Amino acid sequence: MEFNTIYNNLFYLVPEIAVSAFLLLVVLADLILGNNKKLLPYLSIAGMLVAGFCVMNQMTFSGAVFSPSGQSKSFGMVTVDSFGAFFKLLVVISTILVVFFSFSSEEIKKSTRRQGEYYTLILGMVLGMFLMISATDLILIYLSLELMSLSSYVLTGFTKLKDRNSEAALKYLIYGAVSSGLMLFGISIVYGLTGSTNLYVINTLLQSPQINMLALGIAGILIFAGIGYKISAAPFHFWTPDVYEGAPITITAFLSVASKAAGFALLARFIKVTFVSSVAPSGHWLLIPVFPWKELLIVISILTMTLGNFTALWQTNLKRMLAYSSIAHAGYLLLSVAVLSNQGLVAMLVYFAIYAFMNLGAFFIVMIIANKIGSEDLEDYKGLGYSMPFLGVTFGMFLVSLTGLPPSAGFIGKLYLFIALVDANMITVAVIALLNTVVALYYYIRVLKEMFLSKPTGEPVSLRLSPLSLILILVMLAPVVIFGVYFTPVVEFAKSCITILGM
Amino acid sequence: MNIYDIVFYLFAAITLASAFVVVTARNIIYSAFSLLFTFFGIAGLYVLLGADFIAVVQLMVYVGGILVLILFGVMLTNKITSVQIKTGTLQVIPAILGTALMAGVLIKIFTGTNWHSQMAQYPTKTTAYALGHILLTDYVLIFELLGILLLIALIGAATIARKEEKAS
Repeated sequence: MEFNTIYNNLFYLVPEIAVSAFLLLVVLADLILGNNKKLLPYLSIAGMLVAGFCVMNQMTFSGAVFSPSGQSKSFGMVTVDSFGAFFKLLVVISTILVVFFSFSSEEIKKSTRRQGEYYTLILGMVLGMFLMISATDLILIYLSLELMSLSSYVLTGFTKLKDRNSEAALKYLIYGAVSSGLMLFGISIVYGLTGSTNLYVINTLLQSPQINMLALGIAGILIFAGIGYKISAAPFHFWTPDVYEGAPITITAFLSVASKAAGFALLARFIKVTFVSSVAPSGHWLLIPVFPWKELLIVISILTMTLGNFTALWQTNLKRMLAYSSIAHAGYLLLSVAVLSNQGLVAMLVYFAIYAFMNLGAFFIVMIIANKIGSEDLEDYKGLGYSMPFLGVTFGMFLVSLTGLPPSAGFIGKLYLFIALVDANMITVAVIALLNTVVALYYYIRVLKEMFLSKPTGEPVSLRLSPLSLILILVMLAPVVIFGVYFTPVVEFAKSCITILGM
Repeated sequence: MNIYDIVFYLFAAITLASAFVVVTARNIIYSAFSLLFTFFGIAGLYVLLGADFIAVVQLMVYVGGILVLILFGVMLTNKITSVQIKTGTLQVIPAILGTALMAGVLIKIFTGTNWHSQMAQYPTKTTAYALGHILLTDYVLIFELLGILLLIALIGAATIARKEEKAS
């Protein structure tokens, strides 16, 4: 590859370059400004806005860049397409919200002197996610996954005032190291079978008949283990409750939305680019018959959602409950991948666009209440609906949306998922998912019951919301309410964003 | 069996045997020292594969750098030499079943698979030039990303190591 080509390729990587530049700027500003850390969050937000703007510019065009020499032009290491742009926008929006969360988080305020590191690591995570979303080379997939994981391990243990923070970080690191080891082993088997790390090249080689199915099957499972860990799918979810409980709430919210989004984007792209031979006119993907992705994903997703929902029933800590609820949501989202069609992809994008707002909103309100009463236990929420009526009502709306009841936006997300499932003739699976939603109703509503129907135990607490918190809640509430009744724009937008550059 | 095979099995035996000691030794100093032989054996395997540059890097970075750091860490930590590491066995039967199954599948894979292979091209000169060229052209993105990954790792390590100060 000539230097000229590299230079031309850089144009496609503008969002990633912007994020890296602002990452370095934050490091430098932290050093130069000394004790004045006020500017750093604004610098990170500026970085995200610039990156978001660059992503918007890339919305319409697609292409593969950084193809190793000797390969055809369309076989790149990084693929830029509208599917990736959608997820990058989602990451940008949730990062901006999380940075705003950090303004009002008591946990983060306690370690003001280390703000520089905090925002650097958040930008590091964003860079990892951006590359994960558009990677089509196994080396880049592994490296971007590591970049994201490494930053999130540190962020999980960022506040060191409580033992459970360090415990969470250590658990996250150990489980994470095992899963990335498994993934790397799977990658090495794939490389041994095909002699290439490029997903497009692997795709063409898989269509030849002399591939050993057993070896490829094990490799597929191992690579799925690495991705499944990031999206907390069932057998790899053990870390989720402990890490979500121990991490600062801002980071918990970030992990549950942005890093999950990046994981799902990676999974969908990996399957589509590597294992799909062609797309039927009806939008269904024709798998190369080497690995039973559909069956594997269906089993895992049913396991994930059932386990998440049923374990959430017994939780008394709200952060833990929301952790199990996010496992359950990962189950629903896996179903949208299991459909293996363009319609499933639309359902996934719509679901994610809504899930991001409602989950961030729920975590934000838990954080505000925890700032005030210093606890996330359900016991302490008794009667809070009366002492903090605004928070109680908005929290209720987020929870109803997470359940998926009409007329909230969560309902639309689930509706499109079920339509995609029924269209793909997966009726039994749809029924199981529906029954799961009924179980979910119980534990979400239980919180509301404690808040509104129980007598307050201690003396009533009053809370004055800062204007920033009020605006943030309204910003997150607006999509949850509006998309519930007026959902055409988000669906149309999702439909325009399902181009995954592939076979 | 030619000389190449003999050397290969020699290095493989060194690697495996010392790796076994690393995980089973009850004294952490023994573990750290036998790690030296594991790294050395792997460097030998790299040489046999014609990867001279990686072999040298393996010796310099792992044996020269990381291992010395580990030994320093072990020596400077109080009481660590007398600490009994818990290498006890729990759940023996499930563990044996699990590892046997895993070993069976892996052996089946490694013997039964038609691996993608090509004739080795022994480099006539050092591979450092070709590696450097490819790192700055085809894999320049990976190379730059590694730089950022290391920066993040440094910042992260500093963050973790720093003591929490009370907010002023």
